Amino acid sequence: MNQILEINNLNKKYYNKVALEDINISFERGKIYGLMGPNGSGKTTLMKVIIGLHKQTSGNVFIDGNPLSYKTKANVSYMPTENFLYDDFKVKDIVKFYEDMYSDFKKEYVMQILKDINVDTEFKVSKLSSGLVGKLKVALALSRDVDIYMLDEPLNGVDVLARDVIMDLITKSHNENKVFIISSHLVSETEKILDSVVFLKEGKLELSGDAEELRQQHGLSIENLYKEVYK
Amino acid sequence: MFKIIKYDFIRKYKLLLITIICSILLNLLAVAKNGVNGSFGFLIAFPILIAILYIGDIIKMYSDDLNKKSGYMLFMTSHSGYQVVVSKVITAILEGLTILLLYLIFIIINSLYISFVQGFELNVNIGEVIKAINLVLSGNLGFNLGHVFVFLLTAFVLAISFIMTAYTAITIRKSLFSEVKLGGFLSFVIFVGLNWATSFTSGKLMSALSPNYENAINFGSRISATELVMLLLPVMILSAVESVIMIIGSGYLLEKKINL
Repeated sequence: MNQILEINNLNKKYYNKVALEDINISFERGKIYGLMGPNGSGKTTLMKVIIGLHKQTSGNVFIDGNPLSYKTKANVSYMPTENFLYDDFKVKDIVKFYEDMYSDFKKEYVMQILKDINVDTEFKVSKLSSGLVGKLKVALALSRDVDIYMLDEPLNGVDVLARDVIMDLITKSHNENKVFIISSHLVSETEKILDSVVFLKEGKLELSGDAEELRQQHGLSIENLYKEVYK
Repeated sequence: MFKIIKYDFIRKYKLLLITIICSILLNLLAVAKNGVNGSFGFLIAFPILIAILYIGDIIKMYSDDLNKKSGYMLFMTSHSGYQVVVSKVITAILEGLTILLLYLIFIIINSLYISFVQGFELNVNIGEVIKAINLVLSGNLGFNLGHVFVFLLTAFVLAISFIMTAYTAITIRKSLFSEVKLGGFLSFVIFVGLNWATSFTSGKLMSALSPNYENAINFGSRISATELVMLLLPVMILSAVESVIMIIGSGYLLEKKINL
């Protein structure tokens, strides 16, 4: 089955605020999706519902045909935008945690990435700069062998050179069986690797489709289309 | 579940070590400054202080996982809500047993010290050691080592029940009331309500068994440890059952309704 993630009539409310409203969309294997939208548009909420950190108010999400449960988490690798790592752990302890908790975790792979991006495994997380924490989070997320990868603002707080490294890691990790969902404000940086884009506006699905088709249809780059949608 | 427990202890082993070292130093200081009185004072003050620290630490552990971003580390793994709660309770029990063991060691050491100072001669065998401890406890506290075990066990079961009321309230805050204004206040009301309900049911049970309790009071200090355990057993069982109900409820909410 090419479709790995299906979202039907998804709604999410906080108090009286609507975070997601009637979202209907599906994601296919082999594609890299850009989840676009300004702050508060619902990108992070959507990802947190898919990984099970938030419960939807109504609607359904299916992963590989199965409704969301603790079991479906095993097939999703999520990188939150916040620093969620235990800050009193050393990097090597975090790696050990992932190795213990996830049977699909590739330790050699992450150690190689950490070496390539100059992250010292003897350092405590609390001693790392925000840029290094960002790289570490991406490396950990990409070192799992799952069908769905969700990276929430993977380029946040990362310098220009490291951004290229991260984009390179994503494209190298991607293959025809996996789907990547990447949210980012830095549209120009991510546009070059996106196959499809999903624009969220105030919790609603504003526009979605194949990136190339949208470019041709609107005669705009994705970055300019973003500006057009949210102006 | 074993892995959740393992990482809970990895995260708190330094705090546990510091607590143990500070306790030993405090005991030595008490004995050095006030001798036998200091030793007794420590045996009475230690369980009160350590119980407050223990309950605070165990509640904070769960609260941090549900309220801080670092909780994502746990909740992104494919463990069910039930597995998470049960793991936390097992961690609480293991940590509590470690502290109980520490206290029993203090009782033994301090009793031997007091016996030695008071001139009680003892040979180094377990019978003599228990005899020395019982001599100290009966002389100053009116009971023996068996009574201490029963009191500690009862206190421990009640502490776990209290901790579960806090866990349940925190879980409700992050699930049913996560999208409700004044959710924190309502959760606190539920916490108070749960504690009232557990106290009320225990009180009712004790009233129902009142003849036994009155007999026990009439026995006074002559009540044996076995009689004491039979007396407190219904309350312990009731607390354990209430804890299990709260574990199941919290597990369900974590599984079905969570909003971190």
